Amino acid sequence: MWKSYSGKRVGLKTLLLRPEVARTSRYARRWALQGVSFKVSRGQGFGVLGANGMGKTTLLSVLLGIVLPERGSVSIQGRVASLLELGAGFHPELSGRDNVFLYGSILGMRLHEVEERYRAIVEFSELGDAVEEPLRTYSNGMVTRLGFSLIAHAPADVFLIDEVLAVGDARFQEKCRRHLQEFRRRNGTLVIVSHDMKALAEVCDEGIRLEMGEVTDAGPIGDIIGRYQGP
Amino acid sequence: MIERSPWQLLEFLYLLARMELKARYKGRFLGYLGAVGLIFALAFVFWIAFKVIMGIDLPNYSVYLVAGLFPWAWMSMGVVSASRSFVANAGLIKEMGLAHAILPLSNVVQEMMHFALALPLIVAWVAIPGDYPPAWSWLWQIPLLMALQLVFVYPLALAAALANAYVRDIEYWLGIGFVLLFFATPMVYPVSMVPEGLARYFELNPFHALMECWRTVFIESRFDATHAAYAATFAAVEGIVVWLLYRRLAPRVGEVV
Repeated sequence: MWKSYSGKRVGLKTLLLRPEVARTSRYARRWALQGVSFKVSRGQGFGVLGANGMGKTTLLSVLLGIVLPERGSVSIQGRVASLLELGAGFHPELSGRDNVFLYGSILGMRLHEVEERYRAIVEFSELGDAVEEPLRTYSNGMVTRLGFSLIAHAPADVFLIDEVLAVGDARFQEKCRRHLQEFRRRNGTLVIVSHDMKALAEVCDEGIRLEMGEVTDAGPIGDIIGRYQGP
Repeated sequence: MIERSPWQLLEFLYLLARMELKARYKGRFLGYLGAVGLIFALAFVFWIAFKVIMGIDLPNYSVYLVAGLFPWAWMSMGVVSASRSFVANAGLIKEMGLAHAILPLSNVVQEMMHFALALPLIVAWVAIPGDYPPAWSWLWQIPLLMALQLVFVYPLALAAALANAYVRDIEYWLGIGFVLLFFATPMVYPVSMVPEGLARYFELNPFHALMECWRTVFIESRFDATHAAYAATFAAVEGIVVWLLYRRLAPRVGEVV
């Protein structure tokens, strides 16, 4: 729970000449999330539903520890891997191979861990020889596949995923869903934000619905989806 | 938060710096020559202006210039590029929860790698005319000074990155600041030419102390312990201040970039 911040950029001029603006422009007096409380057990899938701008991604940022809550607390046990925005850690000028190593390192993997998994990662992504080409030559689908493959092979106990199941072709989506189910069978925990109800229903057990930063519904995923989509 | 061991961080730093260099030059030798050539060109311009035209009375002027300009470029370019590191990598910080202190360090290390790559040319430049033959003692003096400069520059880079995350136009002011600092530091003129009353203040400049160390190594093959100690003290004080600042400001960086 915390205040949302405004998008105003503070320049040196503002800081020197109008300090009162600089001080107040950081936060708009509005809560981005309020009274959100939930628990996910090991091996469970947890879905977050809601329209755009309701605080779903912010919730994941809080779980990941990027945004600190103004009040309240978050506790996660185990290694966390996240897929919040595809390609955030990718460098367009580097080859797919170099990006695998760089991104793997960003995710907290050791070099030898990436090396051991390299073949599996490339195989899963179905990129083939294109992995030696610079990333800027890739299509969106290819970047997505590489990103997901890497995350999927990162050693993690908890997996935070934001809206990335909806990209790639249908067959690859199906492969991702199977992989996530497999991940849960190995006792991995999932927290997923998505508009793809079918995917949510498949890989989650429970969930919440967010509206304007507040929880308006909670319970088994099927029931929430049912109420969300209406009769 | 992703947990990282010190080894993992070190590997990450290495990858980040190496990949950035790779992306910049795309493995082309000309890219390297271009970066080094820029500094030699600068030295050439100063040499023409101050030696040929103004007739500065310094017998080793071209060596004096080159011995200072390369470390200076490492420092100023490292800090200026680091100032953009949080803002430019907003994706990494926001989406990955990256330990941000490593980003400006990677910029400084990149520029250090540049410097290291240019070292053979600097050594050749100094040694080939024959007045200042290379000494074996350079083998420990140069790495030691590089380490000193790294701990000297990194806090500045981290502070610049933090400041620029909160106040966006700092990066432009930094560029201007380094130009002023360059001419306020005895870089194109020796401190001995500074008028007597002012020389005292010039000696207080920690940047001067660091640069003087470099020149003493290349020109006299001597380690200037006094200036090195002064620069190290400054680095320590600066390190503590910036670390305290970082602890206070860093948690909100993800929100402001």
